[in-house]
Amino acid sequence: MNPQVIIPGPDALPLPAPVFLLQFLLQLTFLLHLLAMNALLGGLLITLFARIKGDGGDDPWTSLPDAVAKVSPSLVAATVTLGVAPLLFLQTLYGQFFFTSSILMGWGWFSVVVVLIFAYYGTYLQSFRGKDLGGGQMPLLGLTVILFLWIGFMFTNNTSLMLHPEKWAAMYFADARGLHLNLTDPQLWPRYLHMVLGAVAVAGLMLLWWGRSRLARGDTSGAFMVRTGGGTFTWFTLVNIVLGLWYYMAQPAHVRKLFMGGQPLATALFGIGFVLGIVLVVLGFLLRRQGEGANPWPVSVLALAEMIVMIMMRDAVRAGSLGAHFRPETFAVQPQVLNLVIFAVLLLAGIGVLVWMVRQLYLAWER
Amino acid sequence: MNYPVWELSMGAGILMAWVSILHVFVSHFAVGGGLWLVVTEMRARRTGDDRLLDFVKSHSRFFMLLTLVFGAISGVGIWTTIGLISPHGTSALIHGYVWGWAMEWVFFFLEIGAALVYYYGWKRLDARTHLAMGWIYFIAAFMSLVIINGIVTFMLTPGGWLENHEFWTGFFNPTYWPSAVIRTFMGLAIAGMFTLMTAAGLPRDAFRTRVIRWNAAWAFGGLVVVALAAKWYGASVAVWRDEEALLGAIPILPVVAGYFKWGIIVTALLALVPLLLPKVWNRGLVAVLLLCGLLTMGAGEWTREAGRKPFVIQKYMYSTGMLASQEDVVAEQGMAASAKWISPDAMDDPVRLGRDLYRAYCQPCHTRDGYNGLQPYLAHWDEETVSGLLPRLENIRALMPPWYGTDRENAALTSYLMTMKPQTKPDWPADPDAAAQLAFDVSCGLCHTPDGFRSLRDSFGGMTADEIDEFLDEAGDVDEGMPAYTGTEKQRKALIRYLEELGQEPQPAGETAAVPADSEGRQS
Ligand code: HEC
Ligand code: HEC
Ligand code: HEM
Repeated sequence: MNPQVIIPGPDALPLPAPVFLLQFLLQLTFLLHLLAMNALLGGLLITLFARIKGDGGDDPWTSLPDAVAKVSPSLVAATVTLGVAPLLFLQTLYGQFFFTSSILMGWGWFSVVVVLIFAYYGTYLQSFRGKDLGGGQMPLLGLTVILFLWIGFMFTNNTSLMLHPEKWAAMYFADARGLHLNLTDPQLWPRYLHMVLGAVAVAGLMLLWWGRSRLARGDTSGAFMVRTGGGTFTWFTLVNIVLGLWYYMAQPAHVRKLFMGGQPLATALFGIGFVLGIVLVVLGFLLRRQGEGANPWPVSVLALAEMIVMIMMRDAVRAGSLGAHFRPETFAVQPQVLNLVIFAVLLLAGIGVLVWMVRQLYLAWER
Repeated sequence: MNYPVWELSMGAGILMAWVSILHVFVSHFAVGGGLWLVVTEMRARRTGDDRLLDFVKSHSRFFMLLTLVFGAISGVGIWTTIGLISPHGTSALIHGYVWGWAMEWVFFFLEIGAALVYYYGWKRLDARTHLAMGWIYFIAAFMSLVIINGIVTFMLTPGGWLENHEFWTGFFNPTYWPSAVIRTFMGLAIAGMFTLMTAAGLPRDAFRTRVIRWNAAWAFGGLVVVALAAKWYGASVAVWRDEEALLGAIPILPVVAGYFKWGIIVTALLALVPLLLPKVWNRGLVAVLLLCGLLTMGAGEWTREAGRKPFVIQKYMYSTGMLASQEDVVAEQGMAASAKWISPDAMDDPVRLGRDLYRAYCQPCHTRDGYNGLQPYLAHWDEETVSGLLPRLENIRALMPPWYGTDRENAALTSYLMTMKPQTKPDWPADPDAAAQLAFDVSCGLCHTPDGFRSLRDSFGGMTADEIDEFLDEAGDVDEGMPAYTGTEKQRKALIRYLEELGQEPQPAGETAAVPADSEGRQS
């Protein structure tokens, strides 16, 4: 027997912009969110490892966590701010699916907010009071990391449950108290691990850049960061290739087929993504071999390209899973051109002001 | 009815109220406190007052920790919560106002960036640049308020938008300006309250006195303007007059509007204390002041929410997600056919059908025994009472969305509601006055108030107990919209006592045609 499929109808009001534009803004802002989230979550995971490894003396494993602690609150701010925008566009385009899965997970989804408040204060506590905490530092860091991992886990549950309308009716009629998760979905764990370990890899690369800027200023502690960052990036990228394949294998057959010739774009993305992954690992090993002076530009540019490919693949998975349930071509569209222009102007001005402000702070700090 | 409904035993409204009241209080502080920071910093620098500058500096850390973390994240929390309890409303708001939200987002990231630079810049930036950061912060925070205020007021008074569905028509709606003034000055007042808190901890000397006076001026001054703007706001809310809502058609509205009014008065009086007697000001009084401010703000938000019922977006979309424009179709095809989330078992199981209908059409506002719970009423009703009420739901005082149940649907919903009836017999008060009041509340009081909305006093003027008894026998024939009387013997006796006394007593003095809060409520 086929399961009963219930999907909320699209909104009665027209979309205020063409679908492709909203799609583009969703992907673009999600990329930015991902970069910030990777720096934060990956950075904290690396820090936790360093905290465990450090002997508390003056070895580099001990000084790294303090440095990360100083910047982590600002990274949370960036992650959240850059997360709000894709959330807006996701709800605008995929509200029928996203609101429904959110409601089924009710408390789990709501918990994100509460947990985030605690996790955020956790980072401030480490930044402002880290030294006073003494032995409490490690448990605090561990707890904060767990809270952030929880947030990511809820996101993965929600963004994967929204792809399975065939599950919703049975879940809802069994229990409407908002206690569901998407744990039975075979793609949940590979998807989540891919995201989290990917975050560690990207954060490793960022650590490498940070180390380089320290070296450039004659601070020798940078060498350790360059080495650790490069190694982290390489090994975790290798693991991610495996996870990516697992993620692919966990897709339903009709989605898998899209990536195996069923749809040219999806197939191309899959191929490029795979090859790029291998190239990144090779470049990563070469980089280590060349030592601290090596040029990290090529690997970084390719890593960014890989992230873009991954985001587009995610979109292909979404389109493939929802299939005929999501028909954006049937949405009424009534572009609000004036408002779009006002937004664009504000956005450019806003970015300009933000850059100016951060530059002022940076210049003052250099002096 | 389009989306599934999250079953929350405490009531969706309660969760929403918690999240939004806490957020709104802190986010208004984020705006007003921003202005306080720059203005006070300027003052300190101009007069070369180092202690004042230090005070601003230490306050700015508290400010950042509260607004950037709790304020910003609880704002995301409101969004998450409305998405969970009113997905259709959220969807409509982002379809109409994506670009509004996107513009707000620009100010959101500027606000956060500026706050961080301002805070981390204390040590590093020169005075002029530092102040510039403060101004950028305040302007960005204020612009967020300017935009969100448009979208929030739109939901209560969409005005011309109902005809043209045009962004700016809905944005600059009839309550836009008064609400913007209330919110701005409430922000300044809250800034005063929180800085009074930081100041209370200073060592007792002339400096403390000076700082406390300065902050109290913000709190008191802000509240005075809020009070004036609230009058203006009340005058702009045409919906409340039209609907006789304040006469008691929405039971909760006059109550919360009254809380708001008295809240402003009490909070302003409290804020006079530090202004006039800065020496007695201490931490205990700060806590009381902040609590009053929080509750007042909460009452204000609640008034706005209550006044919107039964709509999410006034006259456009009901709380259940039904569009006003869909009503005819829904009336024709029936409630089950119009709801998406009806389980297959409901075909041949009336209780199941009733449950699914209840979830889709009642649960958005009602709970079993929590907020707006039905169980306390059901305890005193039998099946006949419920089936008499259901076709007449829109006459119940709350102004509920219309219910167009077919006979089968009414029967199904009735049988489900009967499963909610408590097993044990409810207590019946021994005190005859309390019994009379209860008998009225669970029957006539659902749709009538003694004076005010569909008032009864005159109708029963001079009637004897026997006449009332006779009237109750024929209550079902009075009007199509009024059900037959189905109370038990005990309830009936108590009700007759109530109505007889009602008809004999003159209307309480000081209350014109209306219930207590008519004129008061309108002002607030
Ligand atoms: C828009 C929100 C809303 C919806 C939807 C709604 N109600 Fe109500 N209802 C209220 C409010 C508010 C009250 C008044 C509560 C009070 O006395 O303050 C009320 C009152 C009632 C009462 C009178 C008893 C009481 O609690 O005051 C009954 C009975 C009732 N509703 C039944 C229903 C049923 C059955 C449905 C679904 C078909 C429904 N309501 C849908 C908001 C709603
Ligand atoms: C479901 C809602 C409902 C309930 C319950 C209800 N009424 Fe009514 N009643 C109405 C409506 C609707 C009218 C029509 C007149 C109007 O709209 O003002 C009305 C009219 C009346 C009138 C005549 C007009 C007037 O205002 O004098 C009387 C008397 C009256 N009701 C008394 C009662 C009494 C006594 C009870 C309790 C046993 C009761 N009603 C219960 C809805 C209700
Ligand atoms: C700081 C804590 C956060 C962490 C650790 C985090 C982590 C993640 C992860 C792991 C995903 C990928 C889920 C998946 O698709 O498998 C994700 C996606 C997403 N995040 Fe975050 N997130 C955080 C905060 C936020 C916040 C506060 C918002 C918005 C207000 C947000 C908005 C989004 C959105 C919209 C997506 C999905 C985009 C899409 O599916 O296209 N995130 N996040």
